[in-house]
Amino acid sequence: MIRYLARRVLYTIPTLIGVSLLTFLLFFMIFSPETLARRNLSAKNPTPAQIDRWVHEHGYDRPKAVLFKQHMQSMLTFDFGESDKTKDRIMDRIKAGAFPSLELGALTFGFTLLVGLALAIVAAYLRGSYVDAATMGIAVILMSIPIVVYVIGVQYFFGKMLRYGPLAGYAPGPDGLRFMILPVLVAIVSGSGYYVRLYRTFLLDETSQDYVRTARAKGVSERAVLFKHVLKNAMIPVVTTTVAAIPSLVLGNLVLESFFGIPGLGNYLVGAIGTQDFAVVRAMVYLGTLLYVAGLLVTDILYAVLDPRVRLT
Amino acid sequence: MQATAPAVRAEWTIGVALMLAGCSNIPNPVDWNREPTYFFAFGSEPQSFDPSVSYNSGDAAVMDPVYPSYFRYNFLKQNPWELDLDVGLAAPLREPLDGIGPRGVAFHGETWTFEIRHDLRFQDDPCFAGGKGRPVIADDVVYAFKRMADPKVEFPLASNLADKVLGWDEYSRGFVTSRADAARNAANYDRPMPGVRVDPANRHRFTVSLNQPYPQLRYLMAMHFTTPIAREAVEAYGNQSSLYHMVGCGLFRLAEYTPHDRIVLVHNENSAGATYPTSGAPGIDQALLRDAGKPLPFLKRVEFRIITEPITSYNLFDQGFFDSLSVGQANAPVLLHASKPGTSMSRRGIEMLKGAYPTIEYLAFNMQDPTFGGYTLDKRKLRQAISLSVDSESYVELMNQGLGVKADFLIPRGLGGYDPSYKNPYRQYDPDLTRARTLLAEAGYPGGVDTATGERLTLYYDNYVDNGPSDRQREEFIRKQVQALGITVVSRDTTYAEFVDRTNHKKVQFFNYGWVADYPDAENFAFLLYGPNESPGPNNANYHNPEYDRLFEQMRGMDDGPARNEIIRRMRDFAVEDCPWIYLSENEGPTMYQPWVRNRYSNPILSNLLDYRGIDVERRERLQTEWNRPIWTPLAIFALIAFAGVVPAAQTVHRHRNRRVRKRISEEPS
Amino acid sequence: MTAGLLLHNAWANAPPVSIAGVLVWIVMRSRREPLWAEAYRRLGRSKRALGAIFVLSLCGGIVFLDSLSWQGSRVEEPKTVVDRLFDRPFERTYSEPMGSATVGEVTPHRLLGKHVFGTDSVGKDVFYKVLKGFRTAFAIGGLACLVAVPIAVTLGLSAGYFGGVIDDVVQYTYTVFGSIPDILLIVALVLMLGQGLSSICLAMGLTSWVGLCRLVRGETLKHRDREYVRSARALGASHGRILVVHILPNLLPVIIISVTLLFSGLALYETILAYLGVGVGSNFGSWGNMIDSARDELTRDPSVWWNLAFSSGALLVMVLSLNVLADALRDAIDPRLRTE
Repeated sequence: MIRYLARRVLYTIPTLIGVSLLTFLLFFMIFSPETLARRNLSAKNPTPAQIDRWVHEHGYDRPKAVLFKQHMQSMLTFDFGESDKTKDRIMDRIKAGAFPSLELGALTFGFTLLVGLALAIVAAYLRGSYVDAATMGIAVILMSIPIVVYVIGVQYFFGKMLRYGPLAGYAPGPDGLRFMILPVLVAIVSGSGYYVRLYRTFLLDETSQDYVRTARAKGVSERAVLFKHVLKNAMIPVVTTTVAAIPSLVLGNLVLESFFGIPGLGNYLVGAIGTQDFAVVRAMVYLGTLLYVAGLLVTDILYAVLDPRVRLT
Repeated sequence: MQATAPAVRAEWTIGVALMLAGCSNIPNPVDWNREPTYFFAFGSEPQSFDPSVSYNSGDAAVMDPVYPSYFRYNFLKQNPWELDLDVGLAAPLREPLDGIGPRGVAFHGETWTFEIRHDLRFQDDPCFAGGKGRPVIADDVVYAFKRMADPKVEFPLASNLADKVLGWDEYSRGFVTSRADAARNAANYDRPMPGVRVDPANRHRFTVSLNQPYPQLRYLMAMHFTTPIAREAVEAYGNQSSLYHMVGCGLFRLAEYTPHDRIVLVHNENSAGATYPTSGAPGIDQALLRDAGKPLPFLKRVEFRIITEPITSYNLFDQGFFDSLSVGQANAPVLLHASKPGTSMSRRGIEMLKGAYPTIEYLAFNMQDPTFGGYTLDKRKLRQAISLSVDSESYVELMNQGLGVKADFLIPRGLGGYDPSYKNPYRQYDPDLTRARTLLAEAGYPGGVDTATGERLTLYYDNYVDNGPSDRQREEFIRKQVQALGITVVSRDTTYAEFVDRTNHKKVQFFNYGWVADYPDAENFAFLLYGPNESPGPNNANYHNPEYDRLFEQMRGMDDGPARNEIIRRMRDFAVEDCPWIYLSENEGPTMYQPWVRNRYSNPILSNLLDYRGIDVERRERLQTEWNRPIWTPLAIFALIAFAGVVPAAQTVHRHRNRRVRKRISEEPS
Repeated sequence: MTAGLLLHNAWANAPPVSIAGVLVWIVMRSRREPLWAEAYRRLGRSKRALGAIFVLSLCGGIVFLDSLSWQGSRVEEPKTVVDRLFDRPFERTYSEPMGSATVGEVTPHRLLGKHVFGTDSVGKDVFYKVLKGFRTAFAIGGLACLVAVPIAVTLGLSAGYFGGVIDDVVQYTYTVFGSIPDILLIVALVLMLGQGLSSICLAMGLTSWVGLCRLVRGETLKHRDREYVRSARALGASHGRILVVHILPNLLPVIIISVTLLFSGLALYETILAYLGVGVGSNFGSWGNMIDSARDELTRDPSVWWNLAFSSGALLVMVLSLNVLADALRDAIDPRLRTE
């Protein structure tokens, strides 16, 4: 077990290097330092001298190998430096933006899962009835609508017409939870369809097992079968798929953050893409990767802990 | 012992309902209405609050109340605009100055003598000794000029001053050091500047020496670039875009900046008295003079909410959570209709006020392009034909909801040199396109087909799509118009940054662009067609007509008047015949105001409008609550239906299952 | 039409006709395989699957018609069948579905023709725009899959079958690729290659092969040690032959289901890209562009809902059919999960 884990941890290091190399190459192939300079200088038409100066100041004119070495060094020490555009420290902005993103991510994910699980249980319990068919049907339809449409629609109906929650903005603390109402609503409507179907599959997988048949034959009520036996066993795949989805949470809510004005990392990233602030994008890619890889690691560990069969391999 | 699942669902519904009952849709913290706070929507992340660098009207709205300049435009006068004294004590003195320039060439220039008020103080800030703001002296304005000359500071209008102020280039060059060398940096600023000097006899007086007449200097003295800058602040907080630290002597100071969230300004207690203007343009609303002569500001606090989605800002304004909203191209259609009489907005007392900022929107040909550029007769006719195919009036109506006027030439209304009776012969749209088609045929492309090669002519439209749907819609509109001539239009989409890059390398063919006045003088527009300003300069059509250039050099140093207008007329004739541009429109950007805002007036050339605004606090609170009562019925109905829908199914299934227990196992469906 | 022009037109239409031909041939050939015949039979029994297949065939038909194009003369733009049937004259601006005058203008103007789905901001017929969107959606899904599937299958098969170093390399590659947030990779590639259909397809293909690769690898691992593979090797079959002739066909059902879902996922993702400004660009009609433009339209007065409604409706129909089809395929393979 320990060896397995140690191996997995060691494995992440070459991954990080690989990702850094890939993003470094990509970004230097697209943006000439000149383009970056023009983008970041405030003058309407900077002179070539001004451009050269900016490029030199930000160190984009040094040889690529040197740049990469510096890049890796700073990434490993989490020294992301300053934003090309606004010159504020990127690490500070990341720290400031981490909590709102986390809050949004946790709430949207949590509610989506809960709603998905609840509906899946209902559908599995009432299997064969029109409720089951209707739930599945609605789930498929909801899954087939793009999130942008949901955002526009929810903001319009629930925000503007019915006024259940503020249209945009953010405040920390319990007082600020009302800002999460609309984004969470969007997340539930757009995302729970997928989870309802997934969890129903897991539940039904379990109900077709022999031990369930035995329980039923023994006369245990359907409700007890579902809640006492099936649910517990179905939790294993539920938890592992849940954890596997966590890594994509971090930067996953770009559209929600941007539309609902939540000052999180996603919003920061979208802004940086728009203004081609390479320093910020570089930092965010690295951070995203780190979290993703960490998430994978946690998933593997959890898998090993929960499912004894894995441990033996 | 009915089905549990529906019971569970009932509990949940009640729980959710209880939670919702306690919530509201107010996006402000609990005690927001304690003092007169003004809420304003800020459309994008601020780039810089450094007064020597920031060149962005959005950021100026935050900066100008903090960083005043020698002059400010009179709040109540526009078209024409008037400069009032702000930091300045008296009108500057202009005297001729003759001398010999660096290369031994004689020049006929002038000196300007400025004197600032004696009673100004900087705001309190930890960078000053004892944390208290010190009095402002002329050296602070000279320091601002020195920063402009420092190449590391990236002052955007350096080229405007570099060739006019005596000794500027030489002084600039003395600055080149690495950023890390702080001590040497500070010493660099100790050097006196040859062209801008403090009067040794009066420390509130300074002179600017120029090698040519430059009447536009007074406009520069109305921009935040020339605000008094505290050296202590720059040295304490670094020679960078100080987003978190602004130290000025204006009516407000920066209290907070949270990225992606908000910017907060509060009243600066150290500010010297400023008063509301006592007179305005003839014919303005008398209600605007109610506060005449009263001390400013009326607001204690201003909060800028950073909301990037225009539709969200619009919705928040509609709900009453923003006090005013500028109508940009993105939300123009909505707001214009909403403000008509009889609509919900106008019934609630929301008002839309127009303000014409001198600006021009145009389509340009790259004059160095082999197909569409060039100065021969047939190329000119080609461009004139295309110019005749674009309908400016429809453009303004459809793209900007009628907010703006058709442009006949590049000098907009309100500026000296604007001729309201002029009709550009190549901008008179005729739906039948007779003249356009004739010109096109004469150019060698009858019906859009090249007679030489038999191929259809293709026009590449270099489009940038950063601003969302309106860019696409504009491209489609133009395409529709030009294709009526038989020319194929193909769009080359890029981001704005890429577009600027391509323009600077002259790789574009046909594009849309605009220019917003830096100051209300015709020179600021005419220079867009001045040959030496070609890419990478502001003349991105790369137009080069020696006659035009000569006339430009004559008119730029002149004051407004009939002589100047005559020269402008001659320049215009050249530019119109060559047709490097298709003048589209002068767009207006009105502002919407809530009924509880006092002193609503849109003077678009001013950025520090907040200095004059007031809020009727009780009225705002009352109306906001009234406009934002949540509607619970749909939720209740939904819960009811969901509940009702599940119960019969659950009952059926339960009965089914209970019956099943008595049946044989083989019949159990699996 | 001159002979030269005729040849030119025929040449231009060769790709879509040949693609359609190939697809039909594949379906006909596979009916002879017992495995596939059984699958078709099971699918045929499910009404939902038939419905989905019918709708998708309709979509495919529209796409096919939109790919057949010809020029009337040398200077004419090649127009497709859809263009000729459905293109309407431009109005001035918005108009409601089946309306008679423009809306959202200072003074309404009478319309020049009937527009079933209304018109957009520049007066273009929305029904026509929706039809043109089919081709873009299929192109994106198809081309991106064409990029993603070969990479995923090749790498997955090699990793699962050969194991060892190759497996490690492939796992490393897909972990690296999978760790980079998709959106960044796509933005980077699009900025590098310029906006347009091909760069989007390439970018999306390169970001979506990871999941399929993992799946293929897992399945290959399962099959690697089965009897039939061992016996094939004992008989002296080469690795390549085993992979392609023996293992791959067994993976096809899983691959097809994944590709179907991938296709629908890509079509949905395109709307997000259009929202962020890195979509296909304005030269191609796409539903993503229509939805993005519709962002501000809902709150206009009068509310302009038809652009948003019909483009998302068309997208919904296509994606829903794909999802239902994927479901039906899964049911056909694994009956335990059926709902009916």
